[in-house]
Amino acid sequence: MTRLTADIRSTFTADGAEPFTVDAAVEVEANETCVVLGPSGSGKTLLLETIAGFHEHTGEVTANGTGITERPPEERGFGFVFQDYALFPHMTVRENVRYGNRYRDSPRDPDELLSELGVADLAARNPPTLSGGEKQRVALARALAVRPSVMLLDEPLAALDVPTRQSLRDDLVDVLADVTAVYVTHNRTTARAIADRILVMQDGQIVQRGTPEDVFERPESPMVARFTGSNVIDLSAAPSLRRTLDDEIEPRARSDGSGRNPVDHDSDTDTAPHVAIRPEAITLGDPDGDLSATVERVVREDATNRVTLTFDDVTVEAFAASPPAVDTEVTLSFPRGRLHVC
Amino acid sequence: MATGTERRIEITAVGRMPLVVAFVVGQALAFAAAYSVGRPTWYAYFVVGSTAVTAYVLDGSSFTVATATAGSLLAVALGLPLFMFVARQTPSLVVEKALDPSVHRVLYLGVYGPLLAALLSLSFGVPLAHLLASGFPGQPLVESLVDLPLVVPHSVAGIIILFGFGKGGAFPQLSVLGTMGGMVLAMAFVSAPYAVNASREAFEAIDNRLEYASRIHGANEWETFRRVTGPLAVRGMITGGVLAWARAVSEFGAVAVVAYSVEFFYPVAGETVTAQHAPVFVYNTYLQGGLEESGAVAFLLLAVSAVIFLIVRYLTDDDTRGGTP
Repeated sequence: MTRLTADIRSTFTADGAEPFTVDAAVEVEANETCVVLGPSGSGKTLLLETIAGFHEHTGEVTANGTGITERPPEERGFGFVFQDYALFPHMTVRENVRYGNRYRDSPRDPDELLSELGVADLAARNPPTLSGGEKQRVALARALAVRPSVMLLDEPLAALDVPTRQSLRDDLVDVLADVTAVYVTHNRTTARAIADRILVMQDGQIVQRGTPEDVFERPESPMVARFTGSNVIDLSAAPSLRRTLDDEIEPRARSDGSGRNPVDHDSDTDTAPHVAIRPEAITLGDPDGDLSATVERVVREDATNRVTLTFDDVTVEAFAASPPAVDTEVTLSFPRGRLHVC
Repeated sequence: MATGTERRIEITAVGRMPLVVAFVVGQALAFAAAYSVGRPTWYAYFVVGSTAVTAYVLDGSSFTVATATAGSLLAVALGLPLFMFVARQTPSLVVEKALDPSVHRVLYLGVYGPLLAALLSLSFGVPLAHLLASGFPGQPLVESLVDLPLVVPHSVAGIIILFGFGKGGAFPQLSVLGTMGGMVLAMAFVSAPYAVNASREAFEAIDNRLEYASRIHGANEWETFRRVTGPLAVRGMITGGVLAWARAVSEFGAVAVVAYSVEFFYPVAGETVTAQHAPVFVYNTYLQGGLEESGAVAFLLLAVSAVIFLIVRYLTDDDTRGGTP
């Protein structure tokens, strides 16, 4: 039951790379899974490694209110799962899992952990002979074996194929249910599936924080909206939508409670107004729809179809179980409660 | 229809080892034939020609044939003198030298002294290599210093050692001129770069996330080195040690200047004896007894070195396992 806070403000310099500044505050309540979501190069792995104590930094890291900034990694009591597993190649799976046990007071039994994660039969094998999914389960077992106060996970599913990723993601949801965790990923699907709280990171800074609902439904910037998979519509390029909004949602347009009309969003700034809406919120073919759009492309995706549509100078995506034909006109409906100014 | 890049003979189907054996046996027979008729030059032509033909048969590409042919010229330059050297030895003289106790002492010193130098190089070189692999401010300066002995003429290296550690040097109490310690120091001076660089490459090849994984799960830096970094780099260290040992075995200039002749404990006789480092002894024998007599001693030194080198390579030629969990 550990509450973790980290307030990192440091510029890091790697060999041959430009200096990179991380200025980010992270607060994770006990047993909460906090996902740091961001594109490659946003600094999320650096942030995680700094919390782990791998890099010297300015700022403060605390666990249950106790400052641990000066503690080396081995004295922080954390567990870490790496994207590329980082299993010790000269040890067996069992030796890997019990690696940290001698340093902790009440470690977990390696065989029991391997069994829980479904890889008990691999105990005597060497890591180079394992598949990616097997390696990551072993790496997860190694981190859990030391009964970490905080689990740090650096894109643990990124190197896995889709079925393995889905299977391990389901296991992770269970495993992380009763441990404080910081989970770094660029995958929004994973983030939404496992996060209690999401921090969106860009260029070394946290640009939005909140529940998955907050971040996915109410992105605070076009960058966050695009990265979380929403359509971002520049209203200056979409006069037909803008007219509809003028007519119908004027008093309550802004879902953050400001009461400001999205079409007036640029009245006090020079930037163009944008609204975000998730693809699954757009309805196709409603006779009372807001506007008409042209179907540009239809892509089959598992149980649905992703439809790319254009109207005015705008391109949006929507999902449809029964997709319209390409190059036909179809009406689009934008539920007002799902439109969000950003 | 075969194209220019198509392999003429599928090696995996034929088997690699029989081809190698056939090639080596063919070369040996050709050399024996050429040497027995007093025409070793013919063998040089045979090497180049047979290599080109073999490359054509096995691969068929003009590029491979050209590179193999060019490479065979260097192989002739390196191998032919060695074959001639071995072939021209007088067996009775080799046996006589092999039974000579003074040669035993030289051979013992020629293996033992470099072994101490290699251990000395590794003892201090491995920590330095780890540091270099991790990186630190001013690293290029230290790297240059480490590599300096590679470009310094070795007689000059001997002079430098005497200035640094000899009479009036930094450690006056340390006796290096004409001592075993001086000889080992001279050997370590010229061979340490091999130990450091091979170890550093081994450390650099280790993903630093393995060290992170060790640290975050409870091991401190010492434990991480003992359980992870060290075991994973041990083959590089051994390679560095073997290279340093081999370099020390062949050292002449620095040893001749610093410790031309040394006293050391010789366990076979159970007493302290005096001898010269093998290359120095071979050179002296050449000056005093001519090519034939020095060749016999050189042959013995070559044989001992080759056997030890091959044994070490064989012992270290396994997979990466072997660490202490």
